[in-house]
Amino acid sequence: MGNFHEMEMRVVYAQTLNELIERNPDVFCLEADLGKADASIPVVSERHPRNFINCGVQEANMIGIGAGLAREGKIPFCSTFTAFATRRCYDQITISVAYANNNVKIVGTSPGITQGPNGGTHMCFQDLAIMRAMPNMHIYSPADANELRAVMFYMAESRQPTYMQLVRLKMPKIFEDGCPFDPNRAKRLHEGGDVTLVATGFMTRFALDVARELEKENIAVDLLHYPSVKPFDAQALIQSVRKTGAVVTVENQNIVGGLGSAVCEVLSEQHPVRVKRLGIPDKFGEVADQDYLFDKHGFGPDHIARACRELSPSQL
Amino acid sequence: MEAQELTREQLDSLAAEFRYVVTDAICRSGVGHIGGVMSLVEIVITLYYRIMKVKPEDPNWPERDRLVLSKGHAGPIVYTALAFKGFFPKDWLTTINRNGTRLPSHMDQILTPGVEITAGSLGQGLSCACGLALAAKLDGKKHRVFCIIGDGESDEGQIWEAALFAAHRKLDNLIVICDYNKMQIDGRTEEILDLEPLVEKWRAFGWETFEIDGHDWDAIYDTIQKADAVSGRPAMIIAHTVKGKGNRETEGLVDCHNVKIPDETTYQRLMCGLECKFDLPY
Repeated sequence: MGNFHEMEMRVVYAQTLNELIERNPDVFCLEADLGKADASIPVVSERHPRNFINCGVQEANMIGIGAGLAREGKIPFCSTFTAFATRRCYDQITISVAYANNNVKIVGTSPGITQGPNGGTHMCFQDLAIMRAMPNMHIYSPADANELRAVMFYMAESRQPTYMQLVRLKMPKIFEDGCPFDPNRAKRLHEGGDVTLVATGFMTRFALDVARELEKENIAVDLLHYPSVKPFDAQALIQSVRKTGAVVTVENQNIVGGLGSAVCEVLSEQHPVRVKRLGIPDKFGEVADQDYLFDKHGFGPDHIARACRELSPSQL
Repeated sequence: MEAQELTREQLDSLAAEFRYVVTDAICRSGVGHIGGVMSLVEIVITLYYRIMKVKPEDPNWPERDRLVLSKGHAGPIVYTALAFKGFFPKDWLTTINRNGTRLPSHMDQILTPGVEITAGSLGQGLSCACGLALAAKLDGKKHRVFCIIGDGESDEGQIWEAALFAAHRKLDNLIVICDYNKMQIDGRTEEILDLEPLVEKWRAFGWETFEIDGHDWDAIYDTIQKADAVSGRPAMIIAHTVKGKGNRETEGLVDCHNVKIPDETTYQRLMCGLECKFDLPY
């Protein structure tokens, strides 16, 4: 127990699956030949071989197997890279999982630019957007190891078709072990009245650094972290915006259709204010490291800080 | 309910009645997949009346045999069997594809009692059937999983993904029937995308593979029994069928996949093309 933030998130994922299987033997780990990349090989495969099913390189079939298992009361966690977990088998997820309301958990690993060396073919910038457009689907993107565990405990108990982004890397600690998760609640990580900053998943740690850094410039950032992009906690956003009057969103995704779009949908109908969306500006990925891609597309810490400055009252 | 013994005459009469009722039911919605429904009549009757253990009064009875209609567009023939077996009132058949129906032409596990798996987007049902069979294996349960796929559906890569998977996992509780009527929407399968040699393909994928006349009562029944006895591998029954079977207006015609019934004249022509007349049960 404890110290999960000192581990890679993928190891935390696999170890937490073991815990879930030990609590409920109906939990299953399904892979499509990326078990080693996800650490479920050997963590789950050796400890719980009955509950570990490697489908081979068959993402579409894996989703169907998951749907069939779920129909019989099992709780399958089907994992592969985000590109293959979502866009490659989008119709299988739509019909066999969401439309049929089968209780399948889909885990997309290495979201967005965290695909790094695998480059443009593997960098999926649209999973939040396309999964958000699917009725019946919940979408979670935990920001650190402790929140990942909270989200997984919730997923194992809920009867809800769910997609979760999983950053495989080690992530700095934001939340305490045993932290709560409620898909209907955003988390305020920094309180301020100048500008609302909205983040999820991989980008939340950078947003938090920026919010703390901007204190030195007397810019008070109201940072909302959304572990659940759908359902989306509209109330927390509107409450914050009533104070600040302006929003910056940042996501490890295309700015078309993802978190920023969710924010704009809520605000344009309920409380129109200025919104600046940071993320990938409708481009494909490429082989490159994080800093290069942050700079190229303008959504790293410096860009977040600049956008917050520009939208804070002293600048308007 | 235990499987019943019906005489050959009773089976023939039931098949004719199913064809009459399902044609009428489809006609009421103005358009429907008559061709691929009619080719499955003997197979579906054999499954529900001679093979499968089901309890209409308890559709989710845990020990039931499961049927997945992966070629989900043939839903109306399974609905006819479910209605005749008592899963729901027969007059539901008059609502097929009408506003607010619980019987959409493509199978829906949420809406319809007795439907195991939602299907319609081709290729997906077989994967789901593998999941059902795997779950039974994991839990040491004895029920069987039947799955009906189409020949046109076999163009889908997902069918062959599932074929690999089922053989690898030795799902010998899975029996799949391919409705090989040799026609798909745009034409004959040999012209659109040839499946041959189909039997050899399934054998090469590691399946115990049988080949039958899909309208021959004894062949269907005996072969399913043989398939059920297979150990260590899944079973495939390639059933040679005739699209639109049993109606002079549709039998063997490429254009009978999705038939439009825009007016009373067309309806009368289709109903008169059937072998016998029956009183409608609704």
